[in-house]
Amino acid sequence: MNIAMVSRLICKDWYLNRVGILASLFAGVVTLGMVAAMHRSQLALILGVIVVVTILIGMGAMVMISAANERRQQTLPFVMTLPISYREYTTAKIVGGMLIFLVLWVALVADIVATILLTPGFPHGLIPFVVIMAVEILMSTCLITAVSVTTEAHGWTVASAQVGALSLNVIGWSIVRLPEIGGSMKSTTVQWGGTATTLVAAELATIVFMLLITFFVQAHKKDFI
Amino acid sequence: MIDAAVEFSGVSKRYTHFTLDRIDLKLPTGCIMGFVGANGAGKSTTLRILMGLVHQDAGSVKVLGHAMPEQQATAKRDIGFLSEDMRLYGSATLAWHMGFVRSIYPHWDSKYAEDLLRRFDLKCEQKIKGMSHGQRVKAALLLALARRPRLLVLDEPTTGLDPIARREVLGELMAVLADEERTVLFSSHNTLEVEQISDQITFIDRGRILESSDKETFLDRWRRLRLVLPPNTKLPGLPGVVNVDGSGRLPVVTTNRFEPTMVSACTEAGVAVQAVDVMTLEEIFVARVQSQREGQAL
Repeated sequence: MNIAMVSRLICKDWYLNRVGILASLFAGVVTLGMVAAMHRSQLALILGVIVVVTILIGMGAMVMISAANERRQQTLPFVMTLPISYREYTTAKIVGGMLIFLVLWVALVADIVATILLTPGFPHGLIPFVVIMAVEILMSTCLITAVSVTTEAHGWTVASAQVGALSLNVIGWSIVRLPEIGGSMKSTTVQWGGTATTLVAAELATIVFMLLITFFVQAHKKDFI
Repeated sequence: MIDAAVEFSGVSKRYTHFTLDRIDLKLPTGCIMGFVGANGAGKSTTLRILMGLVHQDAGSVKVLGHAMPEQQATAKRDIGFLSEDMRLYGSATLAWHMGFVRSIYPHWDSKYAEDLLRRFDLKCEQKIKGMSHGQRVKAALLLALARRPRLLVLDEPTTGLDPIARREVLGELMAVLADEERTVLFSSHNTLEVEQISDQITFIDRGRILESSDKETFLDRWRRLRLVLPPNTKLPGLPGVVNVDGSGRLPVVTTNRFEPTMVSACTEAGVAVQAVDVMTLEEIFVARVQSQREGQAL
């Protein structure tokens, strides 16, 4: 693996998507600032969560769709005729997209968790739900990445984004009905149990599986442009 | 030095509606090969296989001594590629593209790049999306040439260019000829361009290589003989007859194995030779493809 080449490709994608990335980061920072300015009230938290989820989904889709854009804009031949292998191209797309997404994801999720923990009277029992849903957003982003990189098609990428958005609702709706998660959401202490661990582990395993599948499919492609 | 910059042996690639069929092709180092074929003949598929962008189903491909597609990353360090359907990033400037490519290729020649900027009348700080089609092609050619590749692969680079831009692009390719170490594979359906710049010609049609030879051999071997047959005289047996057109008394014979002795053979048979026409590469190409499609063995 030519790390230097992968790094250059990542920098290229960041540069070409710089407006969207910077706008998302700016919106994220503003959201964090607003939550803090409102003294981490319950209203601030609710507004913050709505904005954060919107930013994360939008940014995930925007960065991850760049692989499909390469084909649509016919820039893929330019990239693929550089001295790179399919593995390096795939790695650059995934790592570049996920890194920039994770920066925002970690910052925003950490702030929401901190707000819940630091807001007087706010139920700490929400933490397992928030963590599971945050990892679900990460999982949806990985799905969009995997589909975008392997199909390089806008139609499939948009469909995967819809599946991701649908799964966010379905999973959210389902887990609040689990006694161990939903039943302890109003608790004043964090009730982290086996169910939460299992769900987060399953989500992380799905992420790893999707990334492995992406590399597998890319390695077995016969036509790259 | 490697004798053959490009070597295809029995390369096949099957799609639902098209098959590239057992391609054998050898491009000697330092040569400029014109790769001529009609639209859909298999030129782009062949060049994509050469670049490792499409994997062959069968056969072997060696480019600059590297097996493709396995060693494509190494091989592509010494290849400059330009194709009709290749685009640069519209939102970025040419200067950004030059910086990006320079960071990848250690042999990037900044002085040559500046020189090409002037000759192509390109502006470094202009965004690609603000350029005309001709300027975009010239920008892509600049990026391919300034990396000083040992092999230049051009897939219909002049398609859609105005005559001035086409002349500039071809002129620069002619200048590349000055470096004997550089090899060029140039695909086009414009035979006039190919005739201008190539020293080797390969014809491809319906996924098969029809013929591959040096340009002089092509042009020397093909002739069109305008004959006058006296009444009750048959056309004499001539070698390499590809096609016979014209009326019964005034046949026009196309041959791909012309020898000056053919004229005396006709005269001895009582057939008058009105003219022996030299054929253009386009005429040769059309005659070759038609005879192949009609199933004539040459």
